[in-house]
Amino acid sequence: MGGDASPIDMKTQRSADIASGLFLACLGLVVLYAATSITGGMEERLPPRTLPYFLGTTVLLAGLLLSIKSWRYRGPDTAIKWPSRKGFIRVLVAFVSLAFYTCAINLIGMPLATALFVAFLVWYLWRRKRRVFYALLTGVISGVVVFYVFIRFLELSFPTGFLGP
Amino acid sequence: MMLFSWDFLLNGFSTALTPENLLWATVGCLVGTLIGVLPGIGPSSGIAILLPITTVLPPTSAIIMMAAIYYGAMYGGSTTAIVVNIPGEASSVPTAIDGYQMARQGRAGPALAISAVSSFVAGTLSLVGLTFFAPILARFALAFGPPEYFALMFMGLTLTISLSGRALLKGVIATCIGLIASLIGQNPLTGAARLTFGFVDLMAGVNFISVIIGLFAITEILVTVEEAAELMYKTKKIDWMPKWADIRRCIGAMVRSTGVGFFLGLLPGCAPAVTTFVAYDLEKRVSKHPEEFGKGAIEGVAAPEGANNATTSGGFVPLFAFGLPTGPALAVLLGGLMMYGLQPGPMLFKQNPQFVWAVIASMYIGNVILLVLNLPLVGMWARIALIPFPVLGPLIILFSVIGAYSIRFMMFDVWVALIFGVIGYVMRKLGFPIAPLVLASVLAQMLETSLQQSLLISQGSPAIFFTRPIALVFMLLGFLSIARGVWKQVKSGEPEVALEDDEA
Repeated sequence: MGGDASPIDMKTQRSADIASGLFLACLGLVVLYAATSITGGMEERLPPRTLPYFLGTTVLLAGLLLSIKSWRYRGPDTAIKWPSRKGFIRVLVAFVSLAFYTCAINLIGMPLATALFVAFLVWYLWRRKRRVFYALLTGVISGVVVFYVFIRFLELSFPTGFLGP
Repeated sequence: MMLFSWDFLLNGFSTALTPENLLWATVGCLVGTLIGVLPGIGPSSGIAILLPITTVLPPTSAIIMMAAIYYGAMYGGSTTAIVVNIPGEASSVPTAIDGYQMARQGRAGPALAISAVSSFVAGTLSLVGLTFFAPILARFALAFGPPEYFALMFMGLTLTISLSGRALLKGVIATCIGLIASLIGQNPLTGAARLTFGFVDLMAGVNFISVIIGLFAITEILVTVEEAAELMYKTKKIDWMPKWADIRRCIGAMVRSTGVGFFLGLLPGCAPAVTTFVAYDLEKRVSKHPEEFGKGAIEGVAAPEGANNATTSGGFVPLFAFGLPTGPALAVLLGGLMMYGLQPGPMLFKQNPQFVWAVIASMYIGNVILLVLNLPLVGMWARIALIPFPVLGPLIILFSVIGAYSIRFMMFDVWVALIFGVIGYVMRKLGFPIAPLVLASVLAQMLETSLQQSLLISQGSPAIFFTRPIALVFMLLGFLSIARGVWKQVKSGEPEVALEDDEA
């Protein structure tokens, strides 16, 4: 396991709780605002705006409370294990490639997108060892399995791209 | 009205023993053990990913397989905990304490065997509990109307919040977010859009299966990617025969851990990750030689493994009797039942007895299958855990995408999984509990329906939840658990950090 050097100590549990409490309070406000535009009659026994109002208010209040509580807290504080710089880049690359993959499925079809994505991510996560061959192999096998097992055999209606319907 | 009879159970066995269902139970046990062995994927995400794909099967076979995946996964987590000190699930952490020590002393075989035997004994004993408890509770639940169900789910959510660590406010927030996410889309009653911010895509609503795939599978991958884990360990040769003396030494531990695991497993929020620690601790207290714990005491392996499987079976009692899942994995199973139009609860016992009893009977058989499969295959499972993460991670993502997409064949569900993957990652970093969010998103629809129906009965007065005795008891227990949590937090004044709440 291991990992890289020290995590970014910028934020401790206390400051993070203050910030996330405020963020959640804002989220509560957003829900409350969005709830005002819900249409529907008041003749219902459970008016359609009641639940969103209730939940929005709860999130708003609980968020504020969390902030205030952490603000007033003066005890020992712990650091949050944010990723190191390298760790952050790894997470970002993994996530962005996943997002690209999801977009690519509709554009070039599931089998090809899968092969490219898997090959790329295996190569990226293993790049210190330079296992290019394994990366390509895993990618190709994944693409083939997706096509023959999931699309042809299980008949899941994924976009197939140039491989035809 | 009879909800239990030996005929039902025997019929259940004859259904469960048909070659087809036997095959799916075996497949489920194998897949489950695989899921349990592989780090980075646990029972909840495993079932969530596979759920949409199993729709090709008839409901009974599908649920038999899903249940087998669940208890198989709970079993599989122990293998790697013992052999390579990598607990596949949070619930296997106490197993690793003494199990890995035993392995280092060259006693991996007895450790693995005792965990298989203990899982089998505790699993079977608590299935007997399930067989007789669930119908009794279901009969009691026949008297439930919508207010009782609403109160019951309310209690389930509050217990999950108050038991999932010291993070009460965070638990409340996580619950609300789960509920809010499920509100997005169409109002089931009026069909009007709500919380869609004008986006047409959001009209389809957020499906809880993609939420779960995101929160568990994607989040776990992101966390592991960050750590740059590679998992390169060498296994030793494993011989697997325990001595009779070992087994005799563990009988007490097996029985005690069954009791602890089963009865705590009836409570919402008491995940195996909790009960295994309780059982381990109890065993250490009653032991004549507590100093051996942590240094390779075989009871230290038997107790958490027994509790693990007992909790798994125990959780099926409220699921079948009330339709109340006690943890994320059971919540996903509940989702599976709902996908097949089966609403767990007393009516299921009444209307589909063949189904319920076939599933229960299949669990007895599944326990035998696990024991038979796993004793000889232990070496193979241990090696599978050594698949390097750079290969395993992308494949888990691939399966998550396939799973999320095949829920409704919409790319939208994949995006939801992605977004909740990030949300789960941030929640874990900030110490927010994940279990309440999962439970809330699964229960949301039923909560809303039962609330609506209750208010119809009472003509709009919420007093209905406090004037009917059973509902009142549930509501009071719910409020009490919250009040107790608040009091504890005010007293300690410490910052809120959720327990490391993993799967199950």
